[in-house]
Amino acid sequence: MTPLLASVVDWEALLDTVIAAAVAGVGVTVVFSFAILGAAFFGDARREGRGAAAVGAVMLMVLGLGGTLAAIAGGILVMTS
Amino acid sequence: MDSDLLLVIVVATALAFDFTNGFHDTANVVATSISTRAMAPRIAVAYAAVLNFAGAFISLEVAATVAEDVVDSGAITSNTVIFAGLIGAISWNLATWYYGLPSSSSHALIGGIVGATLAAVGTEGVLADGIAAKVLIPAVIAPIVAFLVGAIAIVCAYRIVGRMRPGPVNRGYRLGQILSGGMLALAHGTNDAQKTMGVITLALVINGTLATGSDPPLWVIISAASAIALGTYGGGWRIIRTMGTRIIKMDAAQGFSAQGAGAAVILASSHYGFPLSTTQVISGGVMGAGAGKRVSAVRWGVAGNIVGAWLLTFPAAAAAGAATYGVTRIFGTGALGPVVVSAVALGLVAAAFVRRARHGAPVAVG
Repeated sequence: MTPLLASVVDWEALLDTVIAAAVAGVGVTVVFSFAILGAAFFGDARREGRGAAAVGAVMLMVLGLGGTLAAIAGGILVMTS
Repeated sequence: MDSDLLLVIVVATALAFDFTNGFHDTANVVATSISTRAMAPRIAVAYAAVLNFAGAFISLEVAATVAEDVVDSGAITSNTVIFAGLIGAISWNLATWYYGLPSSSSHALIGGIVGATLAAVGTEGVLADGIAAKVLIPAVIAPIVAFLVGAIAIVCAYRIVGRMRPGPVNRGYRLGQILSGGMLALAHGTNDAQKTMGVITLALVINGTLATGSDPPLWVIISAASAIALGTYGGGWRIIRTMGTRIIKMDAAQGFSAQGAGAAVILASSHYGFPLSTTQVISGGVMGAGAGKRVSAVRWGVAGNIVGAWLLTFPAAAAAGAATYGVTRIFGTGALGPVVVSAVALGLVAAAFVRRARHGAPVAVG
């Protein structure tokens, strides 16, 4: 990296962009995957008559979905602020 | 009077560029949703068009970068320069569309403007620091980040749901793609429509209609949003016909991860005012989601084409912009040159569309 490049590029903004993109991109996929895991567990637990497991699976699904929607809404709010 | 006519031509040309941008990029935005059957093609295209329109209203940071950090509006005395840059960008966009090559509308736009400025006023009109800091460095970093985010996301997703039955898992990710595809379309509208807003704002500043540093007026925002949305909708019908054969096969989880990675990188970059190539970011996300599953699943030849096009786009559009400026100057400094060039360009575009419709693409898309 040349000194000129180092001086003109706003590396802090660039690093913030990379961190925000990584956290949002990976985070949303992980949280939504837990929602799917909850939904899939719920189907299995209901079929096998395991009530407590089904309730836990529904909670996982709701938390995952809520987290996904919250992340999307938060992203849009940050963009518009 | 002459400068006002020139301004009208420049605004119309900028909106035409915006239309070609939407037209050119529809495939990037909707391909993953259609490929995994998360959405029917017609619905996916209409959905992307609406969210491209909405995305244009989210932020103005990228528009400010294009208007203020690429060329020195004080050194440019005529909007002929902006017109020539736009024609250079449109020429490159249409040439790559005609030959089925992947390319970046954003780099074509900035390259065209820079080339025309270099031809008109020399190096003092080009803000090299701004281009390096806000365009070139982010252009290198963003697709790599999208690739890594897509790859890490898909590895995490497979770890979490890997032992579940594929049926419910695929259905879940397909539903999720309605959200992630929507976010990607929103991100595309945000970053790409703003580039046209920035160019029109620059033309208004050069014309003396706006002061330097002004935000784009509302009519500019609405017209740029409408043009990219219409282009997205128009371009969609072309790809619907070819969608079945040209898409890399991916599962719904990969589609979700790729779209999420692309949307996250584009939205974060738009917030900081980096005008990215959305084409390359989305391609990076798709390749990352493919490589995260199996490295050999990625068509590395296609990746090589994308890198080649990335290297070629900026100088080619710059050369086209400079050449267009040279042609317009044959007719003097007024509006006559842009009028003649516009007429010739429209004729060439019409001929290309007719030929393409009759004979199809001259080369296959990778």
